[in-house]
Amino acid sequence: MAEVTGIGWVTSNGMGRGKDGFDPGTGPLPQITRREVFTEPFDRFGRMDEFSRVGLTGITLALRDAGLDEWCERRSIGLFGSTVHGCLDTDMAYFETVIPQGGALASPNLFAYTLPSCFLGEAAIRFGLTGPSLTFFSQTLFDPAALLSGLESLYTGECEQVVAGGCDVRGFTGGGPYPQGALFFVLERRPRGEPRYGSLDLTEGGGLICNNTPVTTLFDLVERCLNVRSDR
Amino acid sequence: MSRVFVVQSEAVTALGKSIEETWQGLVQGLSAVQPVERFRVECYNSTQAACISDLQIGPEGSRIDPLLEHLVHSVGKVPSETELFFATTKGAVDLLEHRLRHGQGQPLETIVPRVLAERFRGMLGGEGQVQVVSAACASSTIALARAAALIRAGRTKCAAVGCADLVSEFVFSGFSALRALSPEPCRPFDRSRTGLTLGEGAAFFLLMSEGRMRKEQRVPLAEMVGWGTANDATHITAPARDGCGLVAAMQAALAVAGLSPDQIGGICAHGTGTVYNDAMELTAINRLFGLRRLPVFSVKGALGHTLGAAGGIEAAVLLECLQRGTVPPTIGLVNPEEGAASRISSMGQETTGEWLMTTNSGFGGVNCAVVLKKAGDH
Repeated sequence: MAEVTGIGWVTSNGMGRGKDGFDPGTGPLPQITRREVFTEPFDRFGRMDEFSRVGLTGITLALRDAGLDEWCERRSIGLFGSTVHGCLDTDMAYFETVIPQGGALASPNLFAYTLPSCFLGEAAIRFGLTGPSLTFFSQTLFDPAALLSGLESLYTGECEQVVAGGCDVRGFTGGGPYPQGALFFVLERRPRGEPRYGSLDLTEGGGLICNNTPVTTLFDLVERCLNVRSDR
Repeated sequence: MSRVFVVQSEAVTALGKSIEETWQGLVQGLSAVQPVERFRVECYNSTQAACISDLQIGPEGSRIDPLLEHLVHSVGKVPSETELFFATTKGAVDLLEHRLRHGQGQPLETIVPRVLAERFRGMLGGEGQVQVVSAACASSTIALARAAALIRAGRTKCAAVGCADLVSEFVFSGFSALRALSPEPCRPFDRSRTGLTLGEGAAFFLLMSEGRMRKEQRVPLAEMVGWGTANDATHITAPARDGCGLVAAMQAALAVAGLSPDQIGGICAHGTGTVYNDAMELTAINRLFGLRRLPVFSVKGALGHTLGAAGGIEAAVLLECLQRGTVPPTIGLVNPEEGAASRISSMGQETTGEWLMTTNSGFGGVNCAVVLKKAGDH
């Protein structure tokens, strides 16, 4: 069993953490500026692709909510992300720089962000996180694949803490409006204080259960966690 | 805790349509690196890669489907109740290239790796969701590690891991722009190395718990005893010079295996041929294993860097090493880097070890290590 100790998100209705009021929406995402997320200078934030900026913001807010955003020494915290489209927009933008002049103008900066796991690397660098980091391509936005893998990582003793969730910046899957953004949770094997949002566990069948209620998506989990918090 | 056994393994590379052909090419000192004919390379700082010579574009519009079909033709269908994993960095990226160049082609929604993974599942006759892992050049190593962890935890009894990546202009141009491509075939761990050479390929593994293996009367090829993953948290495209992430990954793998560094009999290194990667690896290996004799090799001078498929292909090569008691030559090595001379050779090396390790590192600071044990009597 793991404790949920932090929640952070970016949606079309804004960004937030903890009890700020999660609202997914289906419209375009807000343009995120460095000042909205980080008080100190962070040059690289402006050079990141949108996928990395949104994902890093979600992770940052989750870590901040859990009180884990400040650090002196690197920590073995794992990073698990899921996505439907990954960095497809960045892939397209990059290859548009390859097409003219036989590739002579290919952008090295864009190429560096053409992997869907790069935003996890940015988070690892920013917050000194040295646990495992990987992205799953999932069928639906905010699929729980990353949570399941994060829990496995806690159970096997690979890490004591993980950040797990999902990120997407393409608002369609071929049929109608579709939520986009980032939603991340901090999960800890050993709680550091009073319970915050409740517990998350794996069922015998390999599903997820939060505070004795099954959860099938990241949306389910955030609603379950925030309800519990207000109940308390 | 269930033990994890490798009961089937296969690889398709530019050196051979099977792991047997690939192995024979490796030990003969062959290299599959050739001039690229698939796309124009005049503006790039390399003209060479290890492409599979007769790999055609399939009906879906990508070369990756025929590559996977060839792999599946060799391995057959997966058993029922098999958890499926698929690893890649860019999947069917040639579909995206075609669409952007010509303004037509497959819908964007079908270009993502998950859709390719579902086609792979269909080829294998698999059931349920496929876990599609993307973790840069350690993608398939990490997929193997996650699959093994599931079996060890008793959450599944059988898991299959597939992986594939292509030589594409998308990736070729990117590494050229980063000045990471070697103008000549790459020379891992050589003092004169100047960068990497790209390659393509695919690999497949079937892992089982001991109980499932016995029930199905499978013969183990090896036992997967350890795995570890760590991030060096240093730079997006460059490794930590002190090798801290790789050391942590190797230490974690040894801890899972319950082994000390002295018990490892050889290492299949990532060995890309870039100045910084190879220096980082030597630093990490020397730091953890000291100066004792330890055969280390890289296959990338022969097979090229196969990106997300590299870990799977290299694990398949490592299985051959375990069974044959030898590691293949490191192609391209002429004048070993300082600290490499006693370990890395342009000739094959004998290994008497019962346990061998393979490692991969990638963009985003990711590192992964896997330890395989020679199969005993089962």
